Amino acid sequence: MAFSLTINGQRHTVDVDSDTPLLWVIRDEIGLKGTKFGCGAGLCGACTVHVNGQPARSCSTPVASVDGASVTTIEGLSEDGQLHPLQQAWIDHGVPQCGYCQSGQIMTAAHLLDNNPSPSRQDIVTAMTGNLCRCGTYSRIVAAVETVAGSVGQYEPAGEDA
Amino acid sequence: MTMNRRDFLKVSTGASGSLILAVSVPGCASVQTGYQPETGEWKPDIWLELTRDDEIMFTLARVEMGQGTYTGLTTLVAEELDVEPGRIKVKFAPVAPEYRNPLFGLQLTGGSTSLASSWEPLRVAGAQARQMLIMAAARVWEVDADQCTTQDGRVVHPNGVDSLRYGQLVELADREVIRGKVPLKPRSEWKYIGRKGGKLDARAKATGTAVYGMDVELPGMVYAVMTRSPRYGGKASSFNRDEVIGMPGVTDAFITERGVALVAQRYWQARKAQQKLRVEWDFSDALDTNTEAVFDSYRQAASKDPGVKERSEGNVEKAAERAKQVVEAEYEQPYLAHATMEPMNATAWYRDGGMDVWAPTQAPDLGRIAAARHTDLSPGKITIHTTFLGGGFGRRLTQDYIEEAAAVAYQLKVPVKLIWSREEDTRHGFLRPAMLHRMKGSLNDGELTGWHHQIVGPQVLDWYVRNAAPAQYPWSPKFLYDTLGRVGLMAEGIATPKDISAIEGAIEYPYQVPNVSVRHTHTDPGVPITWWRSVGYSHNGFAVETFMDELAHESGEDPLQFRMKMLDAEPRHREVLERAARLAGWGEAAPEGRARGLALFKSFGTYVAQVVEAGIENGEIRVYKVVCSVDCGQVVNPRIVEDQIEGGILFGLTAALYGEINFDNGEIRQSNFHDYRLMQMHQTPEVVVDIVDSEADPTGVGEPGVPPVIPALGNALFALTGKRQRRLPLTV
Repeated sequence: MAFSLTINGQRHTVDVDSDTPLLWVIRDEIGLKGTKFGCGAGLCGACTVHVNGQPARSCSTPVASVDGASVTTIEGLSEDGQLHPLQQAWIDHGVPQCGYCQSGQIMTAAHLLDNNPSPSRQDIVTAMTGNLCRCGTYSRIVAAVETVAGSVGQYEPAGEDA
Repeated sequence: MTMNRRDFLKVSTGASGSLILAVSVPGCASVQTGYQPETGEWKPDIWLELTRDDEIMFTLARVEMGQGTYTGLTTLVAEELDVEPGRIKVKFAPVAPEYRNPLFGLQLTGGSTSLASSWEPLRVAGAQARQMLIMAAARVWEVDADQCTTQDGRVVHPNGVDSLRYGQLVELADREVIRGKVPLKPRSEWKYIGRKGGKLDARAKATGTAVYGMDVELPGMVYAVMTRSPRYGGKASSFNRDEVIGMPGVTDAFITERGVALVAQRYWQARKAQQKLRVEWDFSDALDTNTEAVFDSYRQAASKDPGVKERSEGNVEKAAERAKQVVEAEYEQPYLAHATMEPMNATAWYRDGGMDVWAPTQAPDLGRIAAARHTDLSPGKITIHTTFLGGGFGRRLTQDYIEEAAAVAYQLKVPVKLIWSREEDTRHGFLRPAMLHRMKGSLNDGELTGWHHQIVGPQVLDWYVRNAAPAQYPWSPKFLYDTLGRVGLMAEGIATPKDISAIEGAIEYPYQVPNVSVRHTHTDPGVPITWWRSVGYSHNGFAVETFMDELAHESGEDPLQFRMKMLDAEPRHREVLERAARLAGWGEAAPEGRARGLALFKSFGTYVAQVVEAGIENGEIRVYKVVCSVDCGQVVNPRIVEDQIEGGILFGLTAALYGEINFDNGEIRQSNFHDYRLMQMHQTPEVVVDIVDSEADPTGVGEPGVPPVIPALGNALFALTGKRQRRLPLTV
């Protein structure tokens, strides 16, 4: 079946089974590999993308349920080749170890800051705790998000997917 | 028995599956060096490549799985070459004898050895290349090379004004010959070593552009899933091929040694077909056990067979007879999975008389043997392309997933990516073995006079040697592979180093006790096992440091003082223990409702002491704070040391709190992250990592953070509740 999606601002039509998870459409039909497969059951968050501005576990989101939606992936988080402030903070804090979960971590954090530009530490932990990291980078993630959140006046929600 | 560093290296070599027989590798240098006029590339050695355009490439022979080799090893070569590490592009090494880990004789990454084994050779490589560039420049200027200096990729004239870029000198430098040893920079001149340098792979990993095995894409690629026997060792005898082959996108379905392979144009089509698959299994050689049966078999073995004497001083039996008090305890640790965030996968393409394999592997040369087994190809015809690894922790030292991809690709002749689901990853992996420990301590008025430790369980090399032995002899005919594996096992300790995977950390018991006995009762219930972050140290750490805590309490002594008085001969142990205790406020009252526990454990040459502060909240164990002092010799990048130690602590806490793989009738019960839990952000304690300033040769940090945190948490819970837990995972 054919489905229509806007991914990172570009319209795509894909012809796949209706129950195909969005994750595999993004990765294998569109060819954007930054969104990762971790558990296939919405339990780890490695596959997190934004669907119409809301964070979604793309591994357990059937493509039919997001027909016509606007999707943002890690590749579309920043514009014009610029880094998103969170990506810069991830680099500055040296957050990634193996790095496999980090696209999902950053997408979850970006949604948090879009809705709450000055989160408390508790807000950050509550928003992020569903994203698993086997290497144990959690404290670096918190520090990186706090850096961005603390830069008053610098972080402006991008209004993506609007 | 005290072990010096040299002994340690020898022993750890054995622990990690090496099979170095007394035969040297024939001179089959496969990596070309020198200057290539057509491309303008100069390879001064097997590690570096400098171009006319001032590009600098470094070949990384230790894979990057999160432990920081990408940054750490590049820093070593950058320091001596005198260029900013960020200017160097990093390439993953192909399989070649030159890139073997000298400690194992295999091209593998494990045992927390990457930095220690690269410390000297990579700095020498950088220094020699720099020296050749200086000599070339001096010849151009007709000045004394000793008067020239370098700065950020340029050679600077003695006048301090003129300079030549490295790129301008590469062709000339190739003609220079170095006689004698090039001196390495003194510590005082280091610009990059010892600093909190940025991670060279952070940008790629923060932007989603780092390529993991899962991300490999090839023209015309198809997708495969493998349905394996639910019980290890079962074989597929038949399946409903007609039904699945007719499903959308499915192009192939066939039985392999590893199970039933389903191939489809898209991954999801293969998964859907798998749901309709009905397989008849032959379970005649299949595992048929459950967790309690494993521990029962261990207890029976322990009582029947006192085990091989692995360390013996004095007479523990006499000590026990004379002791006023004899304390005994039995500890049990379950099977554990690795749960790398990137599930197992590999991509293979059989064509033109050769095979290419792209894989996140910790041991590319073993991967080559694994692929060769399932094709008509010799290992030399198989090219392994190593990608970034989405976690390793030892799991990717075993190459079963490459065997599967190769077996499928050999049938198809088109590129195929084989992906494991999370459930398959949890249920069909190779595990950290379950282990049993029997301890007996003799106390006389607070003096520990006897220490007896009996370790019961399998050893990893038995499961590892299958591909490791042939990988050391890749020119040997394939029909000899299994023989090599068997010879390797039979000759263990004679022709091959001894396998200490079950006893490491127990035989190095550091406390000064007059009578010490460590024995290993070798028994293997047939459950597939492999290396798991910190290996034998992971279970021996819990047994040794929990029992030390029990003995301290039995003798009415503070656990810190009890240990300190037996460490007179171990200054590095003493220092980390003193520091961690001081930083954690040991001896001061813990906050209301909390208690502290400590543990001291050396592994992989690195000394670690930890103090855990824990409590119980809402019916769950809560870890508030972990203070860790670590002595890993010279630090190359403090940021990476902190990361690795903190990551190891969370890895150990995850095992202590949740880690448990259980069997029912030969089948693993757990499947995904809901029943094989990982620590989450809201459960993460504050972690303080205190690094001892040291000029000793560097030792590894990837694993040593794991072992002590498990007993330290158990000891804290005992202090809190008065109830001693001797089986993991810990419960409320």
